[in-house]
Amino acid sequence: MANILVVEDDEIMLKAIKNILSKDGYNVILAKNGKEAFDKLEHADYDLVLSDLMMPYANGLEVISRLRNDPAKKHVSIIIVSSVGNEETITEAFRLGADDYLKKPIMAGELLIRIRKLLANRTVRHSL
Amino acid sequence: MWKDLSDLLWQAYEQFGFLPLFIQIALIFIGLAILATLVAYGSILFRRWQGYVYEKRVNFITPKIEDMITEQVLLNEQLGSVPVDDIEFDPVPLSDKIYKKPWVRQIVIDVLIQYRKNFRGEVGDLLRKLYIDMGLPKDSFDKMKTLKWERKIKAVMELTQMDIPISDVTILPLTNSQNPSLRAAARNAYIQLSKNDPFKFFDIATEPLLPWDQLDMFRIITTTKDIQIPNFSRWVSYSTNKSVVSFCLKLIAHYDQKSAIPAVMDLLNNKDHYFRADAITCLGKLSAEMAEVRLVKIYDHQPLICQIEILRAVGQIASGKYLEFLKHEFSYSSNFDIRMNAARAIINHDSDESRVIVNELMNTTYEENRIIIKHCLNPLIK
Repeated sequence: MANILVVEDDEIMLKAIKNILSKDGYNVILAKNGKEAFDKLEHADYDLVLSDLMMPYANGLEVISRLRNDPAKKHVSIIIVSSVGNEETITEAFRLGADDYLKKPIMAGELLIRIRKLLANRTVRHSL
Repeated sequence: MWKDLSDLLWQAYEQFGFLPLFIQIALIFIGLAILATLVAYGSILFRRWQGYVYEKRVNFITPKIEDMITEQVLLNEQLGSVPVDDIEFDPVPLSDKIYKKPWVRQIVIDVLIQYRKNFRGEVGDLLRKLYIDMGLPKDSFDKMKTLKWERKIKAVMELTQMDIPISDVTILPLTNSQNPSLRAAARNAYIQLSKNDPFKFFDIATEPLLPWDQLDMFRIITTTKDIQIPNFSRWVSYSTNKSVVSFCLKLIAHYDQKSAIPAVMDLLNNKDHYFRADAITCLGKLSAEMAEVRLVKIYDHQPLICQIEILRAVGQIASGKYLEFLKHEFSYSSNFDIRMNAARAIINHDSDESRVIVNELMNTTYEENRIIIKHCLNPLIK
């Protein structure tokens, strides 16, 4: 059972994603902003982080940057889920190390497929 | 104590008539001011209390509504295996008496909209189905009948978010409302909801399309899926609303509707020079080579704003036929903007001929003009 950290400032979206992922068997931990996400990342290991971009205290780009610059957490897969659609921000997210990007409004099925795929690729990488 | 107070007031009342007139007037004003202050404080406290009660109710009911939506939509077992239209909701939670209360129904609508902003696809469609099956469109339509414009806007936005068609009889009058906010919301809703003729309201628009509304509408037009784009020259030719024509010119340029060039050229005879400037800009963006000769012909009789737009347009069309005209304007005009735009237009041609002219001008013209050319040649300066 993979551990997924969901970072999102919209409480409705946060709960909705938790319900969708829990239904699919994932262990979901929630964080309402970047700062809370940093705290949770310090105290547990995650397989995947699902993060919004625009958040108070620390935004999604900072979350990616922090994960990718920490050798112990470099392996964590990152999916950005945001309504920000401008190319510069998306490019910046990928440049910093995001693995995937979903634009809101999202499709629940698509989110699950992308998560499964990323986690499967991760497993293959580990076994190699 | 009360008796003493009433005696005191009675004595004051009896003596009031013997007081000088200005004291009487002052006392009346003091009394009125005290009364008005008490009423104002009373109404503020009452509204705050109302807000507090509403907030408490929202905090109490929202988790229940979220749980209901989660059960009915997000965790619906039929999702993915049965077409959304055939999915039946569990009637037990939905028949709860609490969902009959208007204030609860309003919160359900707000939460559903919040979910729909975040989810599309089957989940989005199922959220819409839940909205319909709970009979919530009726609540939104009822709100449209009220006299308060802010409630009407809320209703229009709810129906738009939920993709519920609104009849032309209801929405079209609102697109021409005297209230700018309501007008903008209705126009945006009409574009998003009308499948066949989303710009029909242009026909009846007598109120202006404000610049900010145009920006918002442009965003909606360019981001709404499967929108029917008409030939905007129809309004350029026949609309009497200047802001509609001006907006249509921008849309013509954006959608590169070359068939609209003759209609746009007709605007070059218009008496309003801002209008002519918009038309010239549009012709430039369309690279309307057939309009170039006319633009150059009318150039001398135009105000500065139109002359600058003509120079830009000639630079965008870049047929090469009017390089001498541009060179002349650059060399002999005393106006800085004219020289700057003429230089840009020559450089925009990006042909052998234009490069020869640029070199020639660099060698023959005076210092300020050379700086202008260097500035225009710099690719980093747009």
